[in-house]
Amino acid sequence: MILGSVKTELIFLENKISVGSVTYAIKGRDVLRNNGFKVNIERKPSKSLSGCGYALKFVGDPDKAKAILQSHGIKIKDI
Amino acid sequence: MIYLDNAATSGVKPKEVKNRVIYSLDNLCANPGRGGHKASLAAAEAVYEVRDKLSSFFGAGGAEKVAFTANCTHALNFVIKGVLKAGDHAVVSDLEHNAVMRPLKAVTDNVSVAEVSFFDDDKTAESFKSLIKDDTGLVICTAASNVTGKILPLKKIGRICKEKGVPFLVDAAQGGGVIPIDMKEMNIDYLCLAPHKGFYAPMSTGVLIAEKSIGKTLIEGGNGTDSLSLIQSAVMPGGFESGTVGLPTICGIGGGVDFVNRRGRKNIYDHETSLISRLYDRLSSLEKVIFYTPRPENGSFAPVLSFNVSGKNSEEVAATLDRRNIAVRAGFHCAKSAHEKLKTTDVGAVRVSPSIFNGINEIDYLYEIIKKI
Repeated sequence: MILGSVKTELIFLENKISVGSVTYAIKGRDVLRNNGFKVNIERKPSKSLSGCGYALKFVGDPDKAKAILQSHGIKIKDI
Repeated sequence: MIYLDNAATSGVKPKEVKNRVIYSLDNLCANPGRGGHKASLAAAEAVYEVRDKLSSFFGAGGAEKVAFTANCTHALNFVIKGVLKAGDHAVVSDLEHNAVMRPLKAVTDNVSVAEVSFFDDDKTAESFKSLIKDDTGLVICTAASNVTGKILPLKKIGRICKEKGVPFLVDAAQGGGVIPIDMKEMNIDYLCLAPHKGFYAPMSTGVLIAEKSIGKTLIEGGNGTDSLSLIQSAVMPGGFESGTVGLPTICGIGGGVDFVNRRGRKNIYDHETSLISRLYDRLSSLEKVIFYTPRPENGSFAPVLSFNVSGKNSEEVAATLDRRNIAVRAGFHCAKSAHEKLKTTDVGAVRVSPSIFNGINEIDYLYEIIKKI
């Protein structure tokens, strides 16, 4: 007997993925937006070991986002 | 002034180009790819848009494959000196510009020269094929000769390169934006462009489109990423954009691509070729005019015609035309190889290269002046 069902939903917090350059950041933003992500470009945090760069700030599954970006040839620096 | 030296640089700029340059100067004040503020990102978006337009126009793999360089010669240097090591074997055509031959000479003497036929593209492709060896590091050819206008059979040569597993570099300083070039369809790995010619853009920015990796950088410096590392990676496009790029010029290139797309690349080519064919036909009636190429048939030649007037040095003829306010290019056109092939290293040649903005009346006036020389 089915008494009912419980729908579970993962809630993702804000994530950031660092990319190699502003060119990859713009391309990555467009690719993620086309895949339903809410995403913006921001400057990479200055605590980064390699120095200046850009990051994609988004809400959603980071593993899915990473896979989408990589499938479009976007070089990821770190998450 | 009747400007017929568009193979050197475009004389008349379309409104799309001028408007985009002015817009960038008025509205895009920041350095693209350097800061996180809105103005810098807006500038970066503008640059990205032009990368994307060029990638689409030439059938490349995406905006990130497109780098903006100081000019086409720098782009060629990046590929030749980044892909080849000292002494490596390369194959070139016998119509190459010094922008290819000089950097190549600086890297290697191990160079084979393929003979271009003005009549038989299969023969040209076969010449390339016969010269490729197991250790060939790069095949380089011009898209269209800046002296003869001959369009090289890029698709045939690209197919051979793919079969042999050799990278293929095309110098499209002449022809880029005018003749059909599709990197994917033609198996072109590296394409170098001079947008101030075929796209009517301002001078001082070239384009490098790289589908394959370029082994190393040639000019290092700041590029907005990894500032705490002193090692610059050779990743496109930033690896080849050390220092600030020419934002207003790049925006002008975007306007030029829009212009060519609006007018239609083929329409532009057909118009310019019809002018060159008309000039060829009219000059053919003068016994004193010496040609070096067959009648430029549509599809085989870019809209460029070189000739001489018997008994005259090419510079003399150009100076006479200049006194009548006609601008053409005489001399050797920075192309030692091509003039050796034409056997014109003593007198050079007079080169006429119209644009979409020239008309029949200007070509007829040129003919009338030459008739009187």
